[in-house]
Amino acid sequence: MFPELNSILDSTPDSYKSSDFILVSDRRADASFLIHHHLSFYLRAGCKVCFLGLVQSFSHYSAVGQRLGVSLAQAREKGQLVFLEGLKDSIGAILQEDTSQETQPLSYLRSPGPRLEGLFRFVERSVRQSGDGDANESWGPPVLLIDDLSVLLSFGVSVGAILDFTLYCQATMCSELQGNMVILVRCEEEDADDEEGLNLLQRGLVHQCNLALHVEGLPTGYCRDIHGQMEVWWRQRGETMYNQRKIFHFKVHDKGASFFARGTSSAVL
Amino acid sequence: MLLDVLQGTEAGGFILIQDTVSCSGRGILKCFINAALKRGEDVHVLGFESPETQVCAGLDSSCVQKLHFHEGFPDPLGWKCTSSFTVDQFTSQHITQLIKDTQYAKASVLVVDSLSLVLRHHDPVVICQRLQELRKGGVIKTVIGLLHSDLHQQGVVGIVGHLASTVISVAPANNERHGVAKTTRRTKSGKVMQEEEYFSVSEDATLSVQAKLRQPGHVQKEQDVSEADPTSNLTFNLRLSEEERKAKEKVALPFVFSQEKKSALLRPTPGTGRIMYEPDANDDFDEEDPDDDLDV
Repeated sequence: MFPELNSILDSTPDSYKSSDFILVSDRRADASFLIHHHLSFYLRAGCKVCFLGLVQSFSHYSAVGQRLGVSLAQAREKGQLVFLEGLKDSIGAILQEDTSQETQPLSYLRSPGPRLEGLFRFVERSVRQSGDGDANESWGPPVLLIDDLSVLLSFGVSVGAILDFTLYCQATMCSELQGNMVILVRCEEEDADDEEGLNLLQRGLVHQCNLALHVEGLPTGYCRDIHGQMEVWWRQRGETMYNQRKIFHFKVHDKGASFFARGTSSAVL
Repeated sequence: MLLDVLQGTEAGGFILIQDTVSCSGRGILKCFINAALKRGEDVHVLGFESPETQVCAGLDSSCVQKLHFHEGFPDPLGWKCTSSFTVDQFTSQHITQLIKDTQYAKASVLVVDSLSLVLRHHDPVVICQRLQELRKGGVIKTVIGLLHSDLHQQGVVGIVGHLASTVISVAPANNERHGVAKTTRRTKSGKVMQEEEYFSVSEDATLSVQAKLRQPGHVQKEQDVSEADPTSNLTFNLRLSEEERKAKEKVALPFVFSQEKKSALLRPTPGTGRIMYEPDANDDFDEEDPDDDLDV
């Protein structure tokens, strides 16, 4: 987890906002470092984490997590972390003979009109599950992490179905269980006819979220010392306009990332 | 005009609130609910996207019993079979029945939060038909809907907008505390009125509106920039005295074709050759000057 980001977002593993839906998006940049941050943050905070890793293997997150000081394998063994390994399980789901299972998590790969109901039920089961008999296993509020949601569009799932899925997740995780949600979605360049696209999905999610972190490259081009800019948009759901937006520059290191206000990079000062 | 619509001076109709990611329309929606409750009307809210606590926060607590919240939110599609109202039940028969089920139902107000979810799951034309049926049904006096205009194609937004008697589009203003609302109102006689106003929503769901002034940029403070005189502080003189100015105005510019020049050119000067032209039998000699109609 990144201490500077914690101070920007005003949250620590000991005190953080609950019932939060955090949307991480990027455009021609890679915002997955924010997913690693949130994963280590919530594991350290002692929350029960359900991670839908649709684009990378478990060992990848585990390796990065090790550098950030959390052990994913241990968390999984203890039952704190539930990891859906999308890559590995996809082959099994496609080759499966038994087509009756509508409620399998990866059923969107098979069913004719892909709905994410199965995935939602998997999420719900994972977060509602209490420890199997262990008395000292009371985790904090549940957290859902998804990396990344836009890959579902390539599987033929419609934007509407994905937005329904996130609405249900939000209803369960945030409203009912007072937990948090962090979702990564990728955008593309602004397109004129953008009916069914990544940008439509991102807009729909921004409507639903509480906090939107948008990562982009610098508008002026490539820089060795500044890897990009991150826009933090605090949205209060239900309130009209007092939203706050701030832009920070960041640099990703081996063991973390540093954030600074625009123009205050060490390369400049 | 926004306040007029809010106070419901024109009875009934379909009010559409359009918002985008940059500015949410839920605040205005809450103001409408509050205003209707204060007028003593029965308000039925179909909540698909927000929980009841969020929609009802800040509403006037003395009138809250007139508010009937039909919870679609945790389960709008019926996946968990726990919802009292799903998106598929958005039909005129079902809604009319729902309203008639409440006691002492008189002309009620139906609030849909939000229409975007309904339009995602049903054909826009069908939804428009149902909305029209609800309006004409007689049980419902006013329908108020919230639509996220950046989540649908323009055509869909246009269809629903045409159906509405009042369309309120919200957008962010330069000032963070206010938003800009563009209200388009269609009266029964067919007249269309439009107005843009600044608005802000307070904690207790009351709307305060400021008229937007017509000159663009009037909101920013006028910057008093005194123009510097370029002819001052020079080592040479660029100014003109009175006689010099008069002489300057008298100068005939070389390429301006004035009346004197025209007559001077047309007058034959002595010593130039004369042209004797005797037309042939085949020639079509026209006495008229072909350049006569030129306005030189």
